[in-house]
Amino acid sequence: MEKTKSCSPGTRVDLAELLIRLDDDRELLRDLVTIFRDDFPRLSGALQQAVECQDMKKVSVLSHTLKGMLANLAVSRAASAAAQLEQMALAGAAVPVEEAFRAFALEVDGLLTEMETYVAVVRP
Amino acid sequence: MRILIADDDALSRRLLERTLERVGYEVTAVENGRLAVEQLSRPDGPRLALLDWVMPELDGPGVCKAIRQNQERQAYVYMVLLTSKESKEDIVTGLESGADDYLTKPFNADELKARLRTGERILLLEGRLVEAREMMRFKATHDALTSIWNRGVILDLLGRELARSQRETGCTIVLLSDVDHFKSVNDTYGHPVGDEVLQEVARRLLLAIRSYDFVGRYGGEEFLLVLNNCNPESAEVRGEEIRKAVSTRPIQTTAGALQVTLSAGLLLSNDWGIRPVEELLFEVDAALYAAKSAGRDCIRIARPNVPAHNSPVPEGESVHRLR
Repeated sequence: MEKTKSCSPGTRVDLAELLIRLDDDRELLRDLVTIFRDDFPRLSGALQQAVECQDMKKVSVLSHTLKGMLANLAVSRAASAAAQLEQMALAGAAVPVEEAFRAFALEVDGLLTEMETYVAVVRP
Repeated sequence: MRILIADDDALSRRLLERTLERVGYEVTAVENGRLAVEQLSRPDGPRLALLDWVMPELDGPGVCKAIRQNQERQAYVYMVLLTSKESKEDIVTGLESGADDYLTKPFNADELKARLRTGERILLLEGRLVEAREMMRFKATHDALTSIWNRGVILDLLGRELARSQRETGCTIVLLSDVDHFKSVNDTYGHPVGDEVLQEVARRLLLAIRSYDFVGRYGGEEFLLVLNNCNPESAEVRGEEIRKAVSTRPIQTTAGALQVTLSAGLLLSNDWGIRPVEELLFEVDAALYAAKSAGRDCIRIARPNVPAHNSPVPEGESVHRLR
């Protein structure tokens, strides 16, 4: 079951869940967002390229990494979309992979900006 | 306690690092399986590890297999696989690779800490077992009073060194020494003082030899020394140095300072060629007996009546036995 009940409408991150997971460590949250800001565009760009090239092995590895990263940040729906993409890539069918990637892209659209706002909000 | 985190995702590494540092772990974090194996294979490396499954170069199960293959040569490493794979097949594969436990991402911090505490308990238990085994190994190989090699071990070492000397055409010195008038020490001052004397004699003998020589307690007040790779020309001088190392100054005991001397028989392996260890021990014992007969506090050398097969005696050189 997706844990989205504490997300505000239009938001992707379950901030309450995330802060519990981080033991309310705001400094750690800032660290994680910084890492996310550096790594996410690179990984999602590489994923898009792998989908376009139909490199299923690469798609499965990258979507697996993104799934873990998003789950750690309590971005449940996007993590589920990455998991779906991983499964499709492992199955090796190109068309469902493209569809799964589009669903994933929709879920993570604007996520970076949203994460940045949380850092500002939770500043000690 | 030190712990290794291996995860290619920087975010996951940072999250784990901070979570574990907060509860007192000393964390080493690496980004692939190869580096994890390097860290865990070090003699002083962490003994607790959290391993991601999917990693570049070598995955988590690969790390577990590599570490378990070398497990007999190093301390036990408790490994927990941490991954978003969660099918039964994955769990079985992970555990079959040698992992001790398995946690799925995103992890629950309390569950993670509890499972790591389980690992710590197992490592503690393993540490106690190893310590007990080492203590038993020490007791089985060392003399209880003097802590030098016991009779069984020194005889094994003697056999090994004699065989090596044969192979390498070297010379091993065998020195069998005996504390002079030891019975009177026991009779006059009591056995505890006799024990103090034996302990100090053993200590002085140990100090007198090189790190790769051996000394063991052969009998009550008899000590057997095996000196490797010796120059036969200086054998007598070495023997004298060792004898004097014991007798030069009195031994301080609870009954006061006691002057203790040693008599010894000395044998050079290359004089004797290929002979059974028992025969050489008989000969060196005879030389010790000769030293006692000659007034004690001296050394006598055991020489064969006929030259050794592999060390011909130059013409004109006398070969004799000192008894």
